[in-house]
Amino acid sequence: MSAAIETRDLTLRVNGETVGPLPVPVGTSLLDFLHEWLGLTGSRMGCGQGICHACTVMVEEEAGPREMRSCITGAHWFEGRSVRTVEGHAHTAPDGSLVLSPVQTAFIENFAFQCGYCTPGFVTGASVLVERLKRTPVRRDEVERVVTEALDPHICRCTGYVRYHQAVRDLVLATPGLTTA
Amino acid sequence: MPTLPRSLPAKRLGGALVASALVGAALVASGVLERSAVSREVEAPLTQEAMRALAPRGAKVAAAADCFACHTARGGAPYAGGLPLETPFGTIYATNITPSAEGIGGYSRADFHRALRDGIAPGGRHLYPAMPYTSYRGLSPDDVDALYAYMMSRPPVAVANRANTLTFPFDQRWTLAGWNILNLPAQVVTPDPKQSDLWNRGQYVADALGHCGECHTPRNALQAMRSDAALQGAVIEGVEAPDITPAGLRRMGFDPHSLTRFMAKGLSAQGGATHQMFDVVHYSTQHMDEADLTALSAYLFDRDALPAEPERPAAPAPVAVPQAVAMRASASYDGLCAGCHGHAGEGIPHVSVPLRSNALMRVSGASGLIRATLHGLPAQRFPDNERMEAMPGFATLLDDAALADLATWMRAQWGGQDKAVTPDEVARLRAGHRADASN
Repeated sequence: MSAAIETRDLTLRVNGETVGPLPVPVGTSLLDFLHEWLGLTGSRMGCGQGICHACTVMVEEEAGPREMRSCITGAHWFEGRSVRTVEGHAHTAPDGSLVLSPVQTAFIENFAFQCGYCTPGFVTGASVLVERLKRTPVRRDEVERVVTEALDPHICRCTGYVRYHQAVRDLVLATPGLTTA
Repeated sequence: MPTLPRSLPAKRLGGALVASALVGAALVASGVLERSAVSREVEAPLTQEAMRALAPRGAKVAAAADCFACHTARGGAPYAGGLPLETPFGTIYATNITPSAEGIGGYSRADFHRALRDGIAPGGRHLYPAMPYTSYRGLSPDDVDALYAYMMSRPPVAVANRANTLTFPFDQRWTLAGWNILNLPAQVVTPDPKQSDLWNRGQYVADALGHCGECHTPRNALQAMRSDAALQGAVIEGVEAPDITPAGLRRMGFDPHSLTRFMAKGLSAQGGATHQMFDVVHYSTQHMDEADLTALSAYLFDRDALPAEPERPAAPAPVAVPQAVAMRASASYDGLCAGCHGHAGEGIPHVSVPLRSNALMRVSGASGLIRATLHGLPAQRFPDNERMEAMPGFATLLDDAALADLATWMRAQWGGQDKAVTPDEVARLRAGHRADASN
């Protein structure tokens, strides 16, 4: 017995480039779409239930980016929207070398991760926070709390929380414009 | 936790309260005193041995009467009070009921009986009906003795009671004397000989111990439970406490067996207990004897006994919605809901509740569904190591029109509801949200 799978065309922007229109079954998650259609395997399938946040991606909107869980959100929800995955945070310098984002650099400098499975989600969560603080800075004494709230939903099975937290806190405190006096 | 619906204008109720107080004062003056349900026999104190012997049964009474849920602040010491109950007239704080000087340490056996069944604390101080003494009035003296013995065996906690912040005239406790004369039943309900023992036990469990009506019965202008509309559903802190009459329960898809199970486990095909009903299951009903839950179910379904076999009420027939609504709604559903609740609303065991058989699709009001979708629900731990994961809120992803379409479409196909949800209703619930009101 075979059931017809309803398929619709999907067009969206991923890491700054337009993708599609591509025929995609309606029930496909964004995570499967990234993995299977685009070969972008950086976003991780962890729990598949929207709990661990290893799958989160940035959704770029006028009011600033937001975090969304790609494992529980349908690919077609992103029709016409703009998504940034962990593959889209670094950029290439004129000399051809790869330049990591400030968040990625801070994670490396702080040895923030061990196995790295959760890292794409933490990069997303921390980057969304940094972008938010560029628009609405917070007092320096609020940084601890703000970083905790931003990273809190992300689960790290190697329990690297302290170093992730330290990396983001130090980055926020050291970056001009993210905090007020 | 019973509270006062926000919709009622404070002025109108204030006037009604004063009027009732004047009527009450007139009655008091004319010699008709407030009627106590408490017999003089409880003036005699219980012996230490009797107290020790009664305490274990009192623990059961405390669980069934759900004293803990209201008398314990979030993160506070057990029974030490402090939980705020917000009303349109100010905040009432639940009191310390541990046997300390700040609590009920000085209460005699008779004081305790009068507080529970007459709503009058030592010194003649009237309790607010937020304390469900109108329901507890029906408690048996034996159960009140057992509860007294149990409460007096709890560790005393020295936490002072917080002062209520009620506005005039609601801060005038004497006005409650009048309220009591009008609204506190003179006669205590006695077993109905025409009904089975099970039914009668169920009535006691539901109406006195469990005080179901305090949330599920609508209130009149004086904030008293309307006896002509018992258990027909009301709105508590912005959340619909559904109709739990036999017709209301069947409408949600319950039968006597599944209701018993729901009360014990907090989960069923109808969904999970949320908001204050989660607290009811968490602190109260999961700890009750199965015999009492069976009786409760028999009474609520108005049966002499539970049927031998489960009865499965037929699922409501789907109602068609305009094509454009269905298109927009199914796009929202596939994008945001199906990942956890399944493409056909089947849910995922231990993760997310089914939607296609969910009571929120079938109850008359859509507020429960809209609220959950807008603001999400916390992760919940249920008996038997069962749990449901947190539901995110979609307030920033779905605008009023999109959420109205989604709710209309879900309730039409799964709940047979032909009344469309309006963007205005969504807007109202979006604006009225208070983070502290969600469970």
